Amino acid sequence: MNVQTTRFGIVEVNDDRVLNFDSGMLGFSSYTSFVLLQPDEDGIFFWLQSIEAPELAFVVTDPQIWVPEYEATIRTEQMESLELERIDDAQVFVIVNKYDNTLTANLQGPLILNLRNQEAMQLVLAEKRWTTRHEIAQLTDERSAASA
Amino acid sequence: MLVLSRHRDETIMIGDDTELTIIDIRGDKVRIGIKAPAHVPVHRKEVYDAIKRENEQAMSLADPSISQCRPGANRGSRANDLPAEKLPPRNDAG
Repeated sequence: MNVQTTRFGIVEVNDDRVLNFDSGMLGFSSYTSFVLLQPDEDGIFFWLQSIEAPELAFVVTDPQIWVPEYEATIRTEQMESLELERIDDAQVFVIVNKYDNTLTANLQGPLILNLRNQEAMQLVLAEKRWTTRHEIAQLTDERSAASA
Repeated sequence: MLVLSRHRDETIMIGDDTELTIIDIRGDKVRIGIKAPAHVPVHRKEVYDAIKRENEQAMSLADPSISQCRPGANRGSRANDLPAEKLPPRNDAG
């Protein structure tokens, strides 16, 4: 299928790569179909692009890459709603944000994806250990210069 | 807003299958037990609001410089196992 996006134009997406967020994401509950777009070979950052709203997209990353000790707790009923039978079938993403030159990740509201059936949901972790703005990197001027 | 007074160990029913029970009261802190069906998410409101706000903020992010960032240590990603669609190379000058 062709997906309209405001950032990347029209992107052709394999139908079986559509991710279903049945309850949407907090604040965006009416949007339930997304696709992961990979901007480069490295696979560090991805765009989670809505299929229904061209302007709705989030930068996401695998938290393990940045915060090795990070753990997201998933409850049994949440595993059931994703039809997730084994934890190994799950992939965790966190939404990335930028405040001035600091890159942050929302470790308190991780996204869980069942790689077997593409069902996904945003969790709200009860633990106070992880915050919505966990610093993962600094964007330096040098880097901005290099990318220009 | 409906306001009800309850003592310790007393319960409030919301609909047919959601129960709130006052477990303990100490000073200005109340412990509440919640029994709700699995499909009803229950969150502390300030946490819910924070995540919602963060989602809304993140949605307006359109900064390509982010992808220049790399983790300090070289840790592999599972990119190849993921159901991700590769985008054509991007002309950053544009």
